[in-house]
Amino acid sequence: MTKPKIAFFDFTSCEGCQLTVVDLLQTHLGLLDLVEIVQFREAMTEKGEDYQIAFIEGSCTRESDEERLYKIREQADLVVALGACAHLGGVNAMKNRWSIENVQTYVYGENGKDNYESYGARPISAVIKVDAAIPGCPIDRFEFLKIVQMVLQGRTPKLPDYPLCVECKLKENGCLNTMGKPCLGPITRAGCNAICPTYGDGCEACRGFAPEANFEYMREILRGHGLSEEDIDARFSMFNHYQLMQMGEDAPLSKPIVEPDAPLPTSTFAAPQEN
Amino acid sequence: MSLYILSKEQLGEFVEKLQAKFRVVGPVRTEYGYAFDDITKPEQLELNYSTTILPPKKYFLPQREVLFEFESETDDKGLRSYEVRPIFQEVEPTVIFGVHTCDMHGITLYDRVFAEGYRDEHYVERRENTYIIGMECLTPCDDASFCKDMGTLSAPQVYDLHMTPMNDHYMVDTGTERGEKLLLDHVYVEMARKEDIQQLGQVLSSKWPRFKMRLKVTRDQTPSLLTLGYKAKLWEELGEKCLACGSCTNVCPTCFCFDVQDEMDINMTDGERSRVWDSCQLREFALVAGGHNFRDTKASRVRHRVMRKGKYIKQVHGITGCVGCGRCERACLVNITIPGTINNLHDEMHPEPEKA
Ligand code: SF4
Ligand code: SF4
Ligand code: SF4
Ligand code: SF4
Ligand code: SF4
Repeated sequence: MTKPKIAFFDFTSCEGCQLTVVDLLQTHLGLLDLVEIVQFREAMTEKGEDYQIAFIEGSCTRESDEERLYKIREQADLVVALGACAHLGGVNAMKNRWSIENVQTYVYGENGKDNYESYGARPISAVIKVDAAIPGCPIDRFEFLKIVQMVLQGRTPKLPDYPLCVECKLKENGCLNTMGKPCLGPITRAGCNAICPTYGDGCEACRGFAPEANFEYMREILRGHGLSEEDIDARFSMFNHYQLMQMGEDAPLSKPIVEPDAPLPTSTFAAPQEN
Repeated sequence: MSLYILSKEQLGEFVEKLQAKFRVVGPVRTEYGYAFDDITKPEQLELNYSTTILPPKKYFLPQREVLFEFESETDDKGLRSYEVRPIFQEVEPTVIFGVHTCDMHGITLYDRVFAEGYRDEHYVERRENTYIIGMECLTPCDDASFCKDMGTLSAPQVYDLHMTPMNDHYMVDTGTERGEKLLLDHVYVEMARKEDIQQLGQVLSSKWPRFKMRLKVTRDQTPSLLTLGYKAKLWEELGEKCLACGSCTNVCPTCFCFDVQDEMDINMTDGERSRVWDSCQLREFALVAGGHNFRDTKASRVRHRVMRKGKYIKQVHGITGCVGCGRCERACLVNITIPGTINNLHDEMHPEPEKA
């Protein structure tokens, strides 16, 4: 059997998901008996263009990136979105709240704002057809392995479609929402084995919303923690800003999520403003 | 069978002696309360515990259990053949301490489902290798339980030993011969005398007033109330609140539904098949090939769970499907409870006549 050739690509991302794959290769070298990696900037210098499966990390945040995505789509038989940035838009899409000009001025300063191209962050599926997604920020290495196996068997990878609480209960964790800590587990797609609650941190929905997410009652639970409506909006949109925008008027938010001209919050990371 | 006296000081010695030969599990303290877990030192055992998130069912039907391994080969014509190797994990002889009476009733139901009639070898193997040491509840574990309503406040016949806490000792009842042997082989105990038995009778009868009834109908009336209320408005209300998170079923000592999953090894020719807990509260549970879902709405799923607990299980297995442990109530973040549901259904079906 000839091994399918696979390639990894990155767009706007922190490369954490690719690193997870590199890490997986340390413990599961057998993966290389199944596939041949022809392109993987994170792990090798050679570059082959004859891949059949493309794993794409990162969101698309520039018009000029679209061309590169079209090329990948043209070459690959299968395109897999790797991680929250590629799958959902992820944290990158938080900037979509404001107009691009507003954001560019904030980040690069009045003089630098025209030097860098940018547009609203979006998941890969907003630009090209995506055949499968591996959720998470970063991805779960074992889920990656499982999905690769499914793809190789010619099966459509299936993600759990129930909330995180299922996995959390099976591990018999104490429920954070009953112990004074907000947790988005009830509205989040399972699959990470409830890793954050297991270590005592509330889930932030990096895997995206579960198909039946009950936002109304999730808000009610979060209000019980004393969170303001704005705090709740912010928690919902941390990884899922793009999804909430797509929901338009139906978005489970206390007020519209897009405010093109609102001032951006003050941050130590913003470029100094020239006077 | 016979009653023995185990002084509270001797408990540690008993546990230690058992540890030489058995895996000993029981309620231990956690950050959030208690859980059944392995006991490495006798001091960890918290027999005076309130309740646990998961019931001891996890020792009989683990959250994930491998049923068999398979190897496949592909011949030159591309045909695949499988070789299947059933896995019977050696079940280490285990002693479970501190099983409350409600949870023992849960095990009674499990026995009906997995051992009597259809015999699930995996279950039977675990069950036969596990000693159950029950613990009598003298006060309610908390406000969520309603064992008195469900008739589970006394121990059913599933225990090997059953302990009732007295002032300075435990009264130990032997439920099976192997249980008696377990006790007598590992600790020196005396038979209870007449006055001890009288004292036990007093302790047991005086506990009843401490437990409150929470249901507006008896458990024998519940099935007909549920039949009557099948189309009640209440289900829509509950469906709207429900998060479809499955917590209520995962924590329930009588829920036994599982899903069967295959996992491939990295070589893509071998793998294993396991069963994992499943929940009727999840969307996919009643989804069948072709995309039809028998219970598409959350309202229909919440109703299905309550119907099972209060009616269907009794019809099929002869015992009520809810033992009143209160775990689903503690786990539900939107406060969907069995007593609340039954009582609200009763109110909807039997409205109070308007006062003139
Ligand atoms: S999903 Fe998270 S870890 Fe992966 S690239 Fe994006 S930011 Fe990094
Ligand atoms: S901690 Fe979070 S994920 Fe776990 S049961 Fe509670 S709400 Fe669900
Ligand atoms: S627990 Fe939530 S935030 Fe954490 S990895 Fe899982 S989905 Fe992401
Ligand atoms: S339905 Fe709830 S109260 Fe009844 S046995 Fe199950 S978890 Fe306990
Ligand atoms: S625990 Fe509550 S919210 Fe979760 S599925 Fe059960 S009834 Fe619904």
